[in-house]
Amino acid sequence: MTRLAPQPGERIDRSRTVRFTFDGKPVEAFAGDTIASALYAQGRRIFSRSFKYHRPRGEMDWAGQGAGSLMQVDGAPGIRAATEVVREGMVVEHQNAWPSLDFDVMLMSDIAGGPFTPPGFYYKTFKWPRRAWPLYEKALRSVAGLGKLPHRQAEREWRTEYRRRHCDVLVIGGGIAGLSAAIAAAGQGADVVLVDDDVEPGGALLAEGGHERVRALAEQARAAGVEILSKAPALGFFDGLVPVWQGDTLHQIRAKRHVAATGAIEQPLVFKNNDLPGVMMSGGARRLAALWAVSPGTSAVIATTGDRGLDAALALHAAGVRVHAVADLRPDAADRELGAKVQAAGIRLLPGQTVVRALGRKGVTGAVIAAVDASGRATGRLEEIPCDVLAVSAGTAPATSLILQSGAKARYDAATSRFLADVPDGIVHAAGAVAGHEEADAAAVSGTVAGLDAAVALGLGGASAERALAEERKRLQALPPAPPVAEPPAYARDGKRGGKAFVDFDEDITTKDIAYSVAEGYDSIELSKRYTTVTMGPSQGRHSQLPSIRALAAVTGRSLEEVGITTARPPWSTVPMGALAGRPFEPAKRSAIHNRHRELGATVKWAGDWRRAYDYGDPEGEAQAVHDAAGIIDVSTLGKLIVRGPDAGAFLDRLYPNRVSNLKPGRIRYGVLTSETGRITDDGTIARLDDETFYVTTTSSGAGAVFNWFTWWQADWRMRLHITDVTQGAAAMNLAGPRSREILQSLTDADVSADGMKYLDAVQAQVAGVSCLILRIGFTGELGYEIHCPSPHGQDLWDALMEAGKPHGIRPFGLEPQRILRLQKLHILVGQDTDSESTPYGAALSWIVKLDKEEDFIGRWALERAAESPAATALVGFSMPDGEVPVEGAAVLDKDGAALGQVTSARYSRKLGKVIGMAWVPAAQATDGAQVTISYEGRTFTATVQTTPFHDPEGALVRS
Amino acid sequence: MTLAFLDPSPKPGAGRHVPLARSPMEAQAIAAGARMERRDGWNVAASFDGPDHSRVVGFADVSYLCKLELQGETGGQPTGTATRAGGAWWCPLTPTRELVIGGDPEPPSGASVVDLTGAFCALTIIGPQARETIARFCAIDLRPKVTPVTGLRPGSVARTPGIVLCEAEDRYLILVGSAYGEYLWTVVADAAGHLGGGPIGVDALPPLPEALPDA
Repeated sequence: MTRLAPQPGERIDRSRTVRFTFDGKPVEAFAGDTIASALYAQGRRIFSRSFKYHRPRGEMDWAGQGAGSLMQVDGAPGIRAATEVVREGMVVEHQNAWPSLDFDVMLMSDIAGGPFTPPGFYYKTFKWPRRAWPLYEKALRSVAGLGKLPHRQAEREWRTEYRRRHCDVLVIGGGIAGLSAAIAAAGQGADVVLVDDDVEPGGALLAEGGHERVRALAEQARAAGVEILSKAPALGFFDGLVPVWQGDTLHQIRAKRHVAATGAIEQPLVFKNNDLPGVMMSGGARRLAALWAVSPGTSAVIATTGDRGLDAALALHAAGVRVHAVADLRPDAADRELGAKVQAAGIRLLPGQTVVRALGRKGVTGAVIAAVDASGRATGRLEEIPCDVLAVSAGTAPATSLILQSGAKARYDAATSRFLADVPDGIVHAAGAVAGHEEADAAAVSGTVAGLDAAVALGLGGASAERALAEERKRLQALPPAPPVAEPPAYARDGKRGGKAFVDFDEDITTKDIAYSVAEGYDSIELSKRYTTVTMGPSQGRHSQLPSIRALAAVTGRSLEEVGITTARPPWSTVPMGALAGRPFEPAKRSAIHNRHRELGATVKWAGDWRRAYDYGDPEGEAQAVHDAAGIIDVSTLGKLIVRGPDAGAFLDRLYPNRVSNLKPGRIRYGVLTSETGRITDDGTIARLDDETFYVTTTSSGAGAVFNWFTWWQADWRMRLHITDVTQGAAAMNLAGPRSREILQSLTDADVSADGMKYLDAVQAQVAGVSCLILRIGFTGELGYEIHCPSPHGQDLWDALMEAGKPHGIRPFGLEPQRILRLQKLHILVGQDTDSESTPYGAALSWIVKLDKEEDFIGRWALERAAESPAATALVGFSMPDGEVPVEGAAVLDKDGAALGQVTSARYSRKLGKVIGMAWVPAAQATDGAQVTISYEGRTFTATVQTTPFHDPEGALVRS
Repeated sequence: MTLAFLDPSPKPGAGRHVPLARSPMEAQAIAAGARMERRDGWNVAASFDGPDHSRVVGFADVSYLCKLELQGETGGQPTGTATRAGGAWWCPLTPTRELVIGGDPEPPSGASVVDLTGAFCALTIIGPQARETIARFCAIDLRPKVTPVTGLRPGSVARTPGIVLCEAEDRYLILVGSAYGEYLWTVVADAAGHLGGGPIGVDALPPLPEALPDA
């Protein structure tokens, strides 16, 4: 039984039992236990198997910083058992071991696999024979990774929430520094949010004798209005946005000021078998005892480089753990206050010594202690001390990742042998251990300074806050410095064979691996990191960055400062991909008529950011209906701009290569927009509604770009006009076919006869009681009317037209039949038949370019040059005798067989009984009847060029 | 008359055809149990059976509100704050562009006017959890000290260009492009539903004052 007597400040509630299962076996815990503390209390010591070597691993720090106790909980993999509080009925399973944690077959990779799995082995192995790769891949996938997802989608689904939160001050870290900062800032009237990754704020002091103090501070913070988010690790720093993951909610917190009180992380010592279960951080051993009243072991040895280990020894001794010895690397340890206390407690103190090897197989059974030289080699006598827990401390490393992500620079501090962050003046304030103030009182004052500093920077608190800030700064400077810490060797060793010394427990990277990477030429910290994957595991370097830098320094003979530190990147804490994906809703535009398309069984697909009806089940039949009777298509997605003002015509003259200002009211003109380099960017129609008002349509996907283009130039030219985007304000439908006139006439009093409404007329009239703008234009090649109305009336107008059209055989048609129809007329689709290099000349639209226009226009100079130098290719129509439709993008070959053009559109036309398309062909072949060769998928086909529309080439039908 | 084809208000002389203006969220409101009523030519979700969600958070489809864009000779009000006059919200978006929402406004004589009623859909979100609901899909800072009543905030709403207007304490008017109507309802219903709220009819909205004094 390893449960201790009640500990002051413990988290467990001994009056409430919680039952869960681990690998199918029942476990009894107390409310407040974590999975790992409950299992440890039951006697379990192995919590996981390591990533590569499948070595048995225990929990190291009991704070969730490492990955030694990742387990599968209720089907979710990768849960940190050391911080996951037990719930009734939880189903917990081990990961990454078979058949069990205590006996894992894959341990063979540790015993025999070493030579086959050096760093970067995946670049060198499993390559021969090549055809065996699918087999290798399958095997590697099954052994790689940690944890398994449930097979059924329903078991993998969970709801994520996104929550945006603005505040004045965000405090990251709920230790004594963070709490003090939050209280100080809130006291000046700031709106403060504090986030902390533990189940309650308080930080290290919760387990190190300060629980009453920090819990009182937490209450004070709440009373001051601070919003405290617990079990809420900050993931990164993105230009002032800090995402925080809590439960199933991703908080996106935007603060004006940030206080980084992220603390410092205790570091491991590096020696042979430093990964055995039972080897843990000294602070971890204290947490286990103080928070969950679980004895780390029956007999302990502590190896330390500073006061942390001595403190831990005294705490464990007081909790009833037998501490055999404390090896303190500092030669003067016995002369220090804490050293004297340790000895006074009857604990053997070994100054100037450290652990050089841990003994044991599935758990630690002893420690080998010795004095070491500067390189870590043991000198003098090796002493074996039996123990079942080996608590280590190589000092701490400030948790600077978030601060560094905010733009701070890392700096090596020789006095403390670690990397600090120099925080520039800006929106981030560092407080507590991360700023170098580890002692509780210093951390508290440091936090108060940071909080006041943030408040004053926000203009809160006035002169009194500034005075208080100045006083607290003085207090901080007057506090005594922290006691010294010895610099640990990169690798303490006894010189004997056998065993591995790990610098990264997550990734199973040893000191030998670091040396190996240097020998292969990856001798900088960034290269070595990528080659060995050191610091890239779930703990993101919390326990491995400093040891790996020391190891690299030792191998290369460089100083730690020269080696430097790797770039800090998010996420700092693990987060499920689903959390980042957010709610599963994709912005989709739908026309006012969309429900009718659904009801009619349309195949709906994306067209840009719109959901559109592609067809209603019979695209060829729908196209044929337009020829035979009438069809109706929803074209509400077209871009629609109102350009209005005395200079509206002149403005459009400057933007289009053809003339617009001479358009009469009530008339329509086709327009092609060109860029400054004369390339086609969009097309559409321009209808003049009155002297000063033009209604411009654009392609559906180009609406936003054209609006931006217009407003950009207007910002420069400042002509007398206004531009309004009414794309979503107007619904539009194209009624086309020989019966379209009758259908329309039955719904309107306006004269839509051949004489009453001519081709390219624009008329405003009521249709079925709806105010409409009717544009007589033809994209389909048949008599047609494009009817625009207020979008709230779109559905009713569609219904009325469909009802009126029933006796005439009207059918709705979608994008796909429309593509067939327009292809028959060789109407281009900008972006499909043209690209960023297409000019009107190449696209058979030379007639639209009016170089004799008085007004200068965008692209004029380029078009003048293009007119002088014909392009190598031209856009033409083509037909093919057989039934195969070439893929869009198929190459068009020149006479020498080189690819000089491509097919842009191709369809089978039932009306014409053949395959037709458009393609860019060599200019020399751009003549009626010319034969061109189309090539795709290794085959070639002959097509016949046609430069005039396939259907109704004279346009008699559209003009009827 | 030139831009009459953009104006969905009822017109005389429609004859036997009496078209109904519909919100892009109409189908979803009906599916959620709305009782629809014809009002001023619109099919309006007047009420819903069930609890009064506005005690937590309710959202009402107010897409029928008239929306006029004025350009040029606008009131010249500073951006960031709307004014309420004549039962309408006057929302300056730029120094020369203003959106007038609701009421029966009389635009200044020198302004160019375009009816954008159909271009935007609108929801009113109301209740103690209104801000928390909006925070689920919008990053605009709506804390009262940053966006007080009459605060006007164009910005990204559910990943689309939109406008948020604080109409009263715990009451916000949200506008996005009408083509996003179905999507917006889905997003808001999901957010509000998770917090214990739901759709309400327009009759459940407390009336707003005809005018508010300038701040």
